Amino acid sequence: MPRSDLTLALVGSGGDGVITMGDMIAQAGASEGLNVIKVEAYGPQIRGGESSTTVRVSGDEIFAQADFVDILVVFAWKDFARFKSEIMVAPNAIIFSEAKDETEVDGADLGAGPEATWIKVPFIELAKEAAGTTLAKNIVTLGLVSELFSLPQEPIRKAIVNKFSKKKAKVLEANLKGFAAGIEFAKGLDTDLSDWRLEYTPGEPKLLMSGNEAAAVGAIHAGCRFFSGYPITPSSEVLHFLSQWMPMVGGSVVQTEDELAAIGGVLGASFAGVKAMTATSGPGLALMTEMLGLASMAELPAVIFDVQRGGPSTGLPTKSEQSDLWQALYGSHGDAPRVVLAPADVEDCFHTVVDAFNIAEEYQIPVIVLSDQNIAQRSETLSMLTLSHEVKERVTPAAGELEDYKRYKETPTGVSPMTWPGIEGGQYQTNGLEHDEYGKPTSMFLVHEKMNAKRYRKLRPIRDEFHFIRRYGPDDADVGILCWGSSKGPVKEAVQRANARGEKVAAFVPQVLYPFPKHEFEEFLKEIKEFIVIELSYSAQFYKYLRTFLELPEGHTNIVKRSGGKNLTVHEVEEEIKKALPQASTKREVLV
Amino acid sequence: MSATETVFKPGSYKTDLKPVWCPGCGDFGVLNALYRAMAKLQLEPWNTVVLSGIGCSSRLPGYVATYGFNSVHGRGLTLATGVKISRPDTTVIVVGGDGDGMAIGGNHLMHTCRRNLDVTYILMDNEIYGLTKGQTAPTTPTGDKTKSSFWGNPEPAVDPVELAIATGATFVARGYSGDMKMLTELIQRGIEHHGFSFINVLSPCVTWRGETQYGIIKEKLRSVPEDHDVTSREAAMRFTREKDVVTEGVLYEVHEPTFGDQLEAIRKKAQGGKPEPSTKEILKTFYPTL
Repeated sequence: MPRSDLTLALVGSGGDGVITMGDMIAQAGASEGLNVIKVEAYGPQIRGGESSTTVRVSGDEIFAQADFVDILVVFAWKDFARFKSEIMVAPNAIIFSEAKDETEVDGADLGAGPEATWIKVPFIELAKEAAGTTLAKNIVTLGLVSELFSLPQEPIRKAIVNKFSKKKAKVLEANLKGFAAGIEFAKGLDTDLSDWRLEYTPGEPKLLMSGNEAAAVGAIHAGCRFFSGYPITPSSEVLHFLSQWMPMVGGSVVQTEDELAAIGGVLGASFAGVKAMTATSGPGLALMTEMLGLASMAELPAVIFDVQRGGPSTGLPTKSEQSDLWQALYGSHGDAPRVVLAPADVEDCFHTVVDAFNIAEEYQIPVIVLSDQNIAQRSETLSMLTLSHEVKERVTPAAGELEDYKRYKETPTGVSPMTWPGIEGGQYQTNGLEHDEYGKPTSMFLVHEKMNAKRYRKLRPIRDEFHFIRRYGPDDADVGILCWGSSKGPVKEAVQRANARGEKVAAFVPQVLYPFPKHEFEEFLKEIKEFIVIELSYSAQFYKYLRTFLELPEGHTNIVKRSGGKNLTVHEVEEEIKKALPQASTKREVLV
Repeated sequence: MSATETVFKPGSYKTDLKPVWCPGCGDFGVLNALYRAMAKLQLEPWNTVVLSGIGCSSRLPGYVATYGFNSVHGRGLTLATGVKISRPDTTVIVVGGDGDGMAIGGNHLMHTCRRNLDVTYILMDNEIYGLTKGQTAPTTPTGDKTKSSFWGNPEPAVDPVELAIATGATFVARGYSGDMKMLTELIQRGIEHHGFSFINVLSPCVTWRGETQYGIIKEKLRSVPEDHDVTSREAAMRFTREKDVVTEGVLYEVHEPTFGDQLEAIRKKAQGGKPEPSTKEILKTFYPTL
């Protein structure tokens, strides 16, 4: 039986062309209208060192990287060893490895069962013979896997032509020979792998984007025309993309000397009436914290896009974790209101960034968007149709309001019309000091209390207007799962599988973390019997955050948490569902 | 200029906020010189932004009736970068003290000089931390006793002028808050300069450095020699780390493309005369090109 969903992992050293291979398969899949999720992983080396790419291609909708690899290609087992427990194969996987590599491998170490198929391939020899260079190993592999598994072969061939047509004709010719050699080798194999062929109906081409790219396009769409940032893994792609595109839409990008200057630039531009954003990761957000408070105090719109990685300190710069939550929610001195959003997939990165600008501009408040490495750096197929979003603008004073202009005028929503340099009569002097309605500094308790109330008052209308949540599964579920960010992918997939088995499992995924969509969530809690909260934070930051304002069902709340560094799998979620389902039948005394 | 053809006098730029400075503070002189320079240039208040960090001198934006921003310690220049790049037509003036600019914000000074951002930075140098009540600053002379150096300051002082010239400022001047005429001229020329203009102003702190500061500076004060070549970095450097004299005047002035000029050139290059791409057009570049 051919299949509609296939996951390949390719492992080698830098220079083996592993990443190029993954790119070509993903591009070919997207061009055929397949759904693709591609993830790359590297060692800490700047060049060389181990690298891997995992590509899932499917004719069905997919929401996460697959737990288990169906087809594994290993150029060198010593490189694979560096990904131990991170790349796991299916028990019946097909495993190709370099014929020359005589390393003894225990299949159990990588998840392979006795039913796995092990095939040694002379990649080096084939590449040398056909293309005249061992560098063509990756192209040989493309020929091999496209032939054996019915991956879109013509588009892959086109991708090879595209890549090498800029070089000498000889180079292209050599690589095409390598591709043909891989196909030939596949045809000569006497193992029957017809069950592993990918079967799909070709469709319209899809966009192939990473979360960071989607966020950058979202910023431009929202009207952002000033970006300042400092390079940091895994957020730098936002800076890279905008350095190319921002000038084309008339904006500016400043690569600053540090993150302090990055957020300073954003606040300056915003004060000057231009929509502005920065992008960073945990260590950078830590440096920005002081000026986040300034944004709250001076009531400046600002968007801070934080791509979480493993922490604390330098932590795991290239791997995902959900542990910047407390920093984003509470990282500040003083009572400093802000809004925290969290995209749950690549497409969300576009929407949450536009929403972040809408909230920031409409409510004059800093908005942190908490992405994470998993969705930031994976490539995913998207449809053009869903990538649009309404854009909102800042409230400016009416002509009459400029007489005796009060920059921080008391209003029922807490939002005061805002001027900027160039608007005659709108001059005001602001500061990070507590100030009165005119912006004049004061240390008076009464003013401080009143202005704190004004700044916090904004959160209520924000909660009423922006309560993006996702909800999966039946209304009346035995088990309800709460998660956020990239955990959504495996949770959604696990919920769908459970529902297909007839199990009543539901999930609630908020895209606004603060102000939390409390009413919607309480409704959800009322509908379910057993509650699971899942997160990739060792200290369970999300669960503890919920506890600050919610009573969770006593005796029926299951906390599933662990460190990041390895993405959440569908399997893990399914295991938790399995454990929780029987408990759902026990009586629950406290509802909410 | 508005339709009513207002003429701005120095007093036009005053707000009704009373300065928090101590009587005799050098910063009053800087504020008055700034009002005068602005009036000479007829700066429109709504097209002018005065920014600062934190410190006694950083309170100054509250006293100028333009757009103003008293921000976070050491970060005035970072906000100014966002303002100037976003609104190139506004006149941007940054003020602050020696602690703000030379200690906590030192890194930003270096990079703002290097970028040649078209703003004017007035550093009010009183050789001490005033707002926090008398601690050693990066400009405090070696050996001086302060509240935080009971046995005398063990560190050598930095000369802000030397740092600014070395890191790429295209206009560097030294002034004295007791010489209103010269200081007004320096600020005026600094604002007129197309590029980063840095004015280090000796602005005595009578409370923590003592009343004698005025006398000490006045005794050492001399004008830059008439034959000084302002375009020569080497010549300008001869007026740094001075011990027995204080040379006031424009020490260095050259013309280089500003950060704004460079960014504008990049925009032109990127756009190539074509209209701005729409979101859809940008998204289309993510289709596989197979």
